Amino acid sequence: MAYFMGIDIGSGTSKGVVTRDGEVLAYHLLPSGANYRAAAEKLRAELLAKAKLSSQDIAYTVATGQGSASVPYSDGQVTDIRCCARGISKIFPSARTVIDVQAQSSQVIRLGERGQVVNFVVSEKCAAGSGRFLEVIANVLQVELEDIGPLSLKSKRPVAFTTGCAVFGESEAISRVAEGNAKEDILAGVHQALADKISTLVERVGLEKDCTISGGGALDIGLVRSIEEKLSLKLLVPPQPQLVTALGAAIMAEEMAA
Amino acid sequence: MVMSEMETGLDRARAIYQDRTRRARELKAEGKQVIGYFDIYPVLEMLTALDLVPYRILGDMNEPITKADACLPTVVCPFIRSVMDLGLKGRYDFLDGVVMAHGCEVAEKTAHIWRTYLNPAYAHFIDTPHTTHTAALEQHKELLKDFKKTLEAFAGKELTLEKLRQAIEVHNEQRLLVRELYDLRKPDPPLISGTETLQVLVALASLPVTEGNELLRQVIRQAHERRDGPRIQPARLLLWGSIIDNTAIIDLIESLGANVVMDDTSLGSRAYFPLVEQTGDPLDGLANRYLVALKSPRTFRETVLTKTKRKDYLADLENRFSYLKDYAQEWKVNGVILEVLRYCDIHGYEVPGLKDYLDHIDLPSIYLEHDYSQAALAQLRTRVQAFLEVIG
Repeated sequence: MAYFMGIDIGSGTSKGVVTRDGEVLAYHLLPSGANYRAAAEKLRAELLAKAKLSSQDIAYTVATGQGSASVPYSDGQVTDIRCCARGISKIFPSARTVIDVQAQSSQVIRLGERGQVVNFVVSEKCAAGSGRFLEVIANVLQVELEDIGPLSLKSKRPVAFTTGCAVFGESEAISRVAEGNAKEDILAGVHQALADKISTLVERVGLEKDCTISGGGALDIGLVRSIEEKLSLKLLVPPQPQLVTALGAAIMAEEMAA
Repeated sequence: MVMSEMETGLDRARAIYQDRTRRARELKAEGKQVIGYFDIYPVLEMLTALDLVPYRILGDMNEPITKADACLPTVVCPFIRSVMDLGLKGRYDFLDGVVMAHGCEVAEKTAHIWRTYLNPAYAHFIDTPHTTHTAALEQHKELLKDFKKTLEAFAGKELTLEKLRQAIEVHNEQRLLVRELYDLRKPDPPLISGTETLQVLVALASLPVTEGNELLRQVIRQAHERRDGPRIQPARLLLWGSIIDNTAIIDLIESLGANVVMDDTSLGSRAYFPLVEQTGDPLDGLANRYLVALKSPRTFRETVLTKTKRKDYLADLENRFSYLKDYAQEWKVNGVILEVLRYCDIHGYEVPGLKDYLDHIDLPSIYLEHDYSQAALAQLRTRVQAFLEVIG
C-alpha cells in the first residue's frame, strides 16, 4: 500500500496531508514559527503519528510554500500555485478560478478543464491584499482572529478605508477607533478594502466560473461575503481551505512517484 | 601588456563584469579621458571621434542605497537612485566628465542633481525630444550640434567630419557584432547563455569601442568552438524590460529550466540593433538613429490611423510591438518575461498594451516587478517557476 505526503510550509502556518489512493488519511497544521526546518520535522512527526505510519511507509513527499526548500525529507518541490490548483480541482472539479488568500500575499489562479494552471497573478510585494492585513487590524481592535468574520457581518455602516496599504491601514484603523466607530464597522471596511484589492487581481487574470476561495483568508466569513458581493457571485468554499495546497502537494506526490 | 589584456573571450567578459572600472582606470593611467554616460541616448560616436572613452554609468544591486535618499525621492526608479548613490559614494570619481540625456523625467532631474553634487569637470545634458515628428528630429540635430561644441571645447580639438564618419563606422561594426552575438542564441540549445550574454554586454559598456569589438570577435569564435555551452531547456524566453545590469535575475530564470535567448532591454538589443546611416552630414544619420530608429517606450510614436481615419487599437499595438513578434519567431521564443523596475512609469504604462498584444499573438507572458535589490529576487522565483510550469 503506497502513502504520499504533501507538506506546505507557509509564512504563518505549516500544513501537511497524508493520502492513500487520492484520499486524505491524516492532516495536521501548526504555526511555522521562525524555524521552517523544525516546523517541517514536527509536522511530519505529527502526521505519521496521526496516520499510524512510519517514515518508510511514505513513498513520495512533495514540499511547497514559502519554506519548501527547508523540508529536508522532501522528494520534490512544486510551486504553491500549481499545488493549490491541483488541490482545489480535487475538491471542486468544476472550479475555473481560485482566489488563494495567504498570510503574506494573495494569488488568483485560472484553471483549465483538467485542473491545470492556465494563468495566475500574485499580489505584489505588499501585504494589503493578504491575511496579514487582517491580523494587523485585529490586533489594533483587540479582536480574536476567528471572531473577525462573524463580528464584521453585524456591521450596518462599514467605514471606508482610503488606503490599500497594510502599514498605513493600521494608522487609519487607529484613527477610526479614535473617531468612535464601532469595531464591526471598521472590520467590515477592512474586508471591503481587501475585496477591492483581490477583485483587481481577479480582473487581471480574467474571471471564469466556478470561482473558489482557499487559504487562511477563506476562514473569514466576512471577507468571503465581501468578495462575493464585489464579484456578484457565490464562492465555493472548501471545508478546510487552509489544507488545499498541502492536499494538492500530496496529489502531485502521487503523480510524480508514478 | 596589462593584466586585463591577458584574459580573452568569455573569461575577459566575466572579469570585466565583476570589476567594471578596471580597464577604465588603466586607460586613465595611460592618459586617456573617460566620459560617463547615462542610458542609450548620448551619441557615443562623438566621444569616440575625439578619442574620449565612453563609459556607461550603471547601478549596483548589491549596494544598499544609503546616500541618494538625501537628494532623490524614495518613490522614483531604484536603478537611478542606485546610480546616484554610487556617484555620491565616489564609485565614479575616475570619470573626467559626464553626458546625460532626457531618457525619462527622473534621469533628467538626476542629471542636474549629479552636476550640482558631484561637479564634474565636464557635464553636458542632451534634452532629447520625446516624439519622432520632423520638428523633433530637427531639434535633435540642433541639440547634437551643441553637444559637439561643448565636447570640442572640453577636448581642446576639433571634431572633424572624417573622424565622426570613422567613429560611426566602428560603432556600427560593434552593432553588427552584437547581432552576431545574438545569432548565437538562435539555435537550440543556444551557443551562449543569457547570463554570459549579459556579462559581455556589461563589458561592452565598460570598454572603448575597438576593444569591445575585439572582445565580441573572441566571444563569438569561442562560442562556436566550445562543447560545454548551455543545454536544451523546455523554455526559450524573451526578456523585455527597462534595464538589467546584474546577472542575478537571469541566473534565477535560467536555473529554473529555461534559456533566456532574446531580450529587449536598454543594455541589450535595444541599445545595439539599429545602425547609423552614413549621411552627407553625419549629424543627420546620428540624429535619426538616436531619436527615431532607437525603439524605447520613452519615445512617443503616433498611433497609426486606419483607412477610415479612426484609431484602431490592434493596428496601434501592431505598429508598436510587431518587432517583438519577429524576435519571437526568429529566436523561437515560447514565453516572455515583462520585467519592470518599481516606479518606472514609462515601462509600466507600456505593459497593459504589450500584454494585450502578446495575448493576441498567443505568446504567454508574465509581469515581474522588482525594486532593484538582490534581496527582493527570491519572491520572484515562485512566479517564474509557476510561469515555466504553465508554458511547459
